[in-house]
Amino acid sequence: MKAVKGKFFSRGVRLRGEKSLSSACEIKPLPPVSEVAIPLSRHIGKPAVPVAEVGQTVKRGELIARADGYVSVNVHASVAGTVTAVESRADGRGDSAPCIVIRRAETDETAYMPPLSDPTAEQIVERVREAGIVGMGGAGFPTHVKLRPATKVDTLLINGAECEPYLTCDHRLMLERRDEIVRGARYLQKALGAERTVIGIEANKPDAIALFEETDLSVVALKKQYPMGSEKHLIYCCTGRKVPLGKLPADAGVDVQNVGTALAVCEAIEQGKPLVERVVTVSGRGVAAPANLLCPVGAPLSALAEACGGATEEAVKLVAGGPMTGAALTGETSVVTKTSSGFLFLTARETNADPPTPCINCGKCAGVCPMKLMPMQTEFYTSVGDYEKANVYGGVLSCIECGACSYICPARRPLAQAIRKAKAELRRKK
Amino acid sequence: MNHVIVSAAPHVRSPRTTKRIMLDVLIALLPATAAGIVFFGVPALVFVLAATFSAVLTEFVWFLIQNKAWANPKEVLKKFCGQFDFTSAITGLLLALILPANLEAWYMPVLGAVFAVGAVKLLFGGTGKNIVNPAVGGRIFLFISFAAMTVYPDPSIGKLFAPLGSLQTGATSLTSGLQGKGTLSALDLLLGTGVAGCIGETCKIALIAGGIYLCARGVIKWYLPTLYIATTGLFAVVLEGSFDAFLPSVLGGGLMLGAIFMATDYVTSPKSALGNVVYFVLLGLLTAGLRKATGIEVVSFCIFLMNFVVFLIDAAIPCRPFGYRRAKKTRGQKKEANA
Repeated sequence: MKAVKGKFFSRGVRLRGEKSLSSACEIKPLPPVSEVAIPLSRHIGKPAVPVAEVGQTVKRGELIARADGYVSVNVHASVAGTVTAVESRADGRGDSAPCIVIRRAETDETAYMPPLSDPTAEQIVERVREAGIVGMGGAGFPTHVKLRPATKVDTLLINGAECEPYLTCDHRLMLERRDEIVRGARYLQKALGAERTVIGIEANKPDAIALFEETDLSVVALKKQYPMGSEKHLIYCCTGRKVPLGKLPADAGVDVQNVGTALAVCEAIEQGKPLVERVVTVSGRGVAAPANLLCPVGAPLSALAEACGGATEEAVKLVAGGPMTGAALTGETSVVTKTSSGFLFLTARETNADPPTPCINCGKCAGVCPMKLMPMQTEFYTSVGDYEKANVYGGVLSCIECGACSYICPARRPLAQAIRKAKAELRRKK
Repeated sequence: MNHVIVSAAPHVRSPRTTKRIMLDVLIALLPATAAGIVFFGVPALVFVLAATFSAVLTEFVWFLIQNKAWANPKEVLKKFCGQFDFTSAITGLLLALILPANLEAWYMPVLGAVFAVGAVKLLFGGTGKNIVNPAVGGRIFLFISFAAMTVYPDPSIGKLFAPLGSLQTGATSLTSGLQGKGTLSALDLLLGTGVAGCIGETCKIALIAGGIYLCARGVIKWYLPTLYIATTGLFAVVLEGSFDAFLPSVLGGGLMLGAIFMATDYVTSPKSALGNVVYFVLLGLLTAGLRKATGIEVVSFCIFLMNFVVFLIDAAIPCRPFGYRRAKKTRGQKKEANA
């Protein structure tokens, strides 16, 4: 296949993709699990309020927790069975979160909403809200809120960049569920009243680019560059517009949605299916057989690991999400959430984790920062507690926390952590 | 999977470490070192070894004392090997390369290296904390202390086996070249044949080869040394009022060595890309100007002086993030809006 160069932004970093571990693995369903623990708050906004009671029999797709307020989402049963508990469970990140626990029944009864044919914009937004759809890229912002931007949006941008190493769930979706993604994108476009829909795909997925070029969406090939999937940079590369600092993409007239979100929207409208399952990449050199699994929300990580042959002896780190922005887990106690794009079992060789040494002022962190910040200045001023100066010289508040600075640092300085610390301190003062 | 590491993102790191970068710099210095030994013979070899060895030894002794090695020497030794990042070896080697291979002053590389590593670097807090480039600091210390620093031996290939002790007393070829009295052609300057000078600065081809290696490895940006050298050359043309001054000023003296290996030192150059451009242009102007004013080789003094300006350059450049728009309001209103 012909190599595609693609659009790019200045700076950024080129990472080892490591996508070949799982990019050829077709999406397969996770073998049935005996129990799911569906978290009520693994999205941005307020946790949902449980409506199902302990002992109640639920069908797949039935509402079990209702959104609490505007920026919050509904939660649905991801398997048919009996609610056995509504309790706080360890989330594997050293914290615990309220979950609804469902023991799976042998029958797989579904209770989906009625399908909509030729829906209006209002109907689409309402259905997206009912189906509890959130951004599937990782942040998990409620999609129905994003579909009601404050300013007029003329472009819908579908994010197929998937710039994080290892993750291949979006890639596989684009290859296997193309038509549904395109239809979902059209529904989203209609809901927004946008004039056009653009899909941005990184050049390391030439097969997906070729597939989407056959459709009527306009495809933009993007250079393999991290963090291409960041909204601001994706918008810049696909439309040439720069999102002003401190503003939202809508202020540049663009709305960005992930390919997984487009698929979920299509399913919610055409099948009435709420967001109860998603594709999760299980990868890394610390797992026997990397795979892309279609998992019900709430499925335990141990079941995923088992489906992939289990963790090997060399695995030293367990990450939920991508290796650049994901969270390290304390063990296999975590569950699949609406935003789980992957679980990675990393070996010591992959992580390159050495102890930090003194900063040699090489400027590589500034050289890769996609926001053109000065992480070394931030780290210096944060270490002495002068957060105001950290913002003046380091630009802390504009940081998108992509982690490129920490990745490249030859002295292994904790730059991203310093920035998060300074950000938190600055916000606290305000 | 018995236990897992929990840490903040990102969970993967670039394979490039400080150690690896410093090793690259050492490798890049090898051609110039080899050329220096070929041109200046055994004295050059002695100087290089003595300076490098005493530089590393200084750091070693410092580390032993700092960590109270007498308590448990084995562990401290292990710790030293773990944290050793070649910076002191670079300092020592670089210092030897900017000394005249004058064996009568055998104490110079040793004293200079001890001063460079001990006083200029370690006293200020070690790697990454020094204000002045250690090698430059060491050279200036020697320059103002010993008359031997102004005696430059005449190089010739094959001197490696010649009897020691034949010395030419006098200035480097730069001074005479700039005044138009030089007998050396630009090709001589480029290859280093017959050029009196310091051990490492004579053969420009070897220095450029090292520079290209550093650029290819992504250690330095190609345009920064180029900017320095070009600014110096052009400003010399302006000052002398003749284009004949360009080649001698670019190829003569220690400019090439200083521009590629000393001014680009991460620790003592500005942090931002824009700051670096400003720094290297100012260096070029200062070098050409001081050369004209004093008539002697001043590259190390210029770098020394500009090292102190780095903080001002950094402080003058605030961060301008992606998507930044210049405020349309006047300054007073902007402050009000922030408050």
